[in-house]
Amino acid sequence: MSVSQAEAGTGRHRLEVARVSKTFGSARVLRDIGLRIAPGELHGLVGQNGCGKSTLVKILTGIYPPDSGGAIAVDGQSLSLPVRPLDARAAGLSVVHQNLGLVDDRTVWENVRLGRFKASGRITRRIDGKAERAAVESVFARLGASVDVNQKVGELSAEDRAAVAIARAMQDHEPGGGLIIFDESTRAMGKAARGRFFDLVRSVIDRGASVLMISHQLEEVVEVTDKVTVMRDGQVVEMGIPTKETDEAGLTRLMLGRHLVTHDRVDSHARPETAVQVRDLVVRSVRGLDLDLKKGEIVGLTGLVGSGAVAAAEAIGGAREARAGTLTINGKRLSLKPRRGSTEEFIRAGVAFVAERRLEQGLAGELSVTQNLTLPRVRTRGRRLRIGQGWQAEETAAMIGKLDIRPPDPHKLVGTLSGGNQQKVLLGKWLAGRPDLLVLHEPTQAVDVGARHDIIAAIREAAAEGCGVLISSVDAADLAVLCDRVLVFRDGEVTAELTGDMTQDDIIQATFGLPGGPGRELNAKGVAR
Amino acid sequence: MDTARNQTREAAAPGAGPGTGTAARARRRNLSGLQLAPRLAILIVWAAMIAVYSATESNLFPHVGTFQTIFGSQQPLVFMTMALMCTIVVGEFVDLSVPAVFGFGATILPVLVVNHGWNVWPASIVAVLACVIVGAVNGFLVVKVGVNTIVVTLGMSTLLEGISLWMSDLNTISGLPSGFQKIALTDVGGLPISFYYGVVLVLGFAYLLAFTPLGRHMRFVGASREVSRLSGVRVDRIRFGSFVFAGLLSGLGAFIAVAALGGYNASSSDSYLLPVFAAVFLSTAIFEPGRFNPLGTLVGIYFLETGILGLQLLGLQSWVSQVFYGGILVIAVTISTLLHRRST
Repeated sequence: MSVSQAEAGTGRHRLEVARVSKTFGSARVLRDIGLRIAPGELHGLVGQNGCGKSTLVKILTGIYPPDSGGAIAVDGQSLSLPVRPLDARAAGLSVVHQNLGLVDDRTVWENVRLGRFKASGRITRRIDGKAERAAVESVFARLGASVDVNQKVGELSAEDRAAVAIARAMQDHEPGGGLIIFDESTRAMGKAARGRFFDLVRSVIDRGASVLMISHQLEEVVEVTDKVTVMRDGQVVEMGIPTKETDEAGLTRLMLGRHLVTHDRVDSHARPETAVQVRDLVVRSVRGLDLDLKKGEIVGLTGLVGSGAVAAAEAIGGAREARAGTLTINGKRLSLKPRRGSTEEFIRAGVAFVAERRLEQGLAGELSVTQNLTLPRVRTRGRRLRIGQGWQAEETAAMIGKLDIRPPDPHKLVGTLSGGNQQKVLLGKWLAGRPDLLVLHEPTQAVDVGARHDIIAAIREAAAEGCGVLISSVDAADLAVLCDRVLVFRDGEVTAELTGDMTQDDIIQATFGLPGGPGRELNAKGVAR
Repeated sequence: MDTARNQTREAAAPGAGPGTGTAARARRRNLSGLQLAPRLAILIVWAAMIAVYSATESNLFPHVGTFQTIFGSQQPLVFMTMALMCTIVVGEFVDLSVPAVFGFGATILPVLVVNHGWNVWPASIVAVLACVIVGAVNGFLVVKVGVNTIVVTLGMSTLLEGISLWMSDLNTISGLPSGFQKIALTDVGGLPISFYYGVVLVLGFAYLLAFTPLGRHMRFVGASREVSRLSGVRVDRIRFGSFVFAGLLSGLGAFIAVAALGGYNASSSDSYLLPVFAAVFLSTAIFEPGRFNPLGTLVGIYFLETGILGLQLLGLQSWVSQVFYGGILVIAVTISTLLHRRST
């Protein structure tokens, strides 16, 4: 199968994908995908969860075979399909995955060379550490990054870890060639690390390599890429539009394929009655936090890593054992220093905790949507000898409808859903219990725009019904849109409290301790104790 | 079974593609024989096996006696597999002590009655209680103290076998009152009543897992302890309870087995280890691919026994059971793993 001259040009494109389709069973997840990336181009690929981006990457790297009929060419040379991983590497295609794919307790040079070690000595066949280290150092030199190759990767900063992953991806590139695919690589990075990361990406591009960047962070895509391709439902809806000609709203419209729903702030649902009182919470760096939450009020907790915002939220949600403190809800007083395994007590009192890591803490992937969604209530709503199908079906159908979970199949295994839909199932699992206190940890992390919208709407609805909501998040945009109040933590203390209309920038400035923007008045408050 | 039905739906819609509701329903309706095959493969092989044996050994195999041997003799295995299932479902994969706990109970009972002149009933109660206590000790060490399951149960298994051999003085202890046999051997429709005990136990266990809150919690604890903990499930209590219940089932199984056999030889416990694991793991290839399930285990037990009995009737020696158990275990679980991987 070869790409015709007309389609491929001759070396004009670093990567050219034509008519690639993929069918799983009877489900066609990719349809006639086309993609063209020029040498030295930073190309963005965006689309909602489940639109087929990951499948495309897996076809490019040879993990999935495509359906017959498509063609993939690098620098005008067509690759034989299905792609053989070694061919891909020889052609200069490499991928940096979400978690960067690094082994923490191994050194930098071992991580970079993994899979490429050369044995030396005819009999000993040992790895020549000196030569390997030299090779790695030269890669870092080309990249313009300085990283100690003998250090363990686990001890590195986020940006150095990114540099290691990039070095690994680009080491086999010919000068002026190569293509790196970044698959959500910046997900786990903070703002500062991201800046440095994109400097490195730029230096890769300046050497003539191309980059395909897959990201959910549209602002990032708009800021750094040259061209963008948009996918929706397994198809390319726009191929390679110059980034200059579009913006976040435009991309979102293309991704959603429906009218963009804006995330405007809405009026507070807070009522005068108190929903929850937290007193004398001591956990991690937090020493004695008092917090009152009104019914229907949405309060954000934010701060840098280690500030105590996350620990406080987890303790209030019953997920983490605090050293001291009490929680009063519905006239019931709970100790925040509970006996082991008494989340049950919190749940019965009306507390719901939506954990951050959905597949480790929130849902069991090998069980169905219904089973996961109803789990917290099988004892209270079911009879001892029979859980009963009726209420389970009812709850599940209600949440599938409310949150627009797709596909709307209550018996689907959670592990086979896309990330955004898993997050919806997780939220639905707790909303179905009609909690009086909803504690959420990064509720929109790594979900697509559509899922984010549905999740935000559902949280607001819960608040409107009188539920007190506590959101622990570093996503200032979410907080600005949702919260009536945001508490900013630093070193275990609340250093600022923002109320009323606030913007993303206000929150970021307060978090990083920057002086307030013009015309903004930060209601900086001493610590409660 | 509820879960079995879910699995069927899953296999009918392979791939994680963004299928619409209607399309998924349409696919479910078109459940073809090919897609049903994986979960029923063992049943088909079983039927084929019976056909082949019946053809090649027409004078020996196709008789009521053969049928009675196959279904009337496996009660100890049924109870032991369900004991192992208790802990496997909650995510403790290798309780190696099940056969030894069974042997412990099965030794205490005749030793007390024959050597010490006890009445059978108090002796039975003591034997079952001893097994429950061993289960509790296992549970305490694994769940509360956090010792590795393999180490605890391997050690416990060897310890109990040693004690059993000492108690029985390395002899087969027999000579229980003959009326005691009725508990296990009363004829019901051509099969000893102990067969029905096993069936009731398996059906009860399957019901527990599929329809009760406790069973749902057990499945979730097996799938993810952290998810269960944050959902208000008392994880450690369920894990501990599973070990205790495993002890109880081993003890009850021993009680019935001793009644059927009229005595026990402590050195025979060892030979149950592989069959127990083979049948339980074989269940992951039956009815619910990739998932341990009681009904599949029951089918697995009789499937294995059919194969072995047929080969023995052909004149092959006792080594054939080892070859068969070992071989089938590896093959069946490999196939099940491959099928599961394809369907998710």
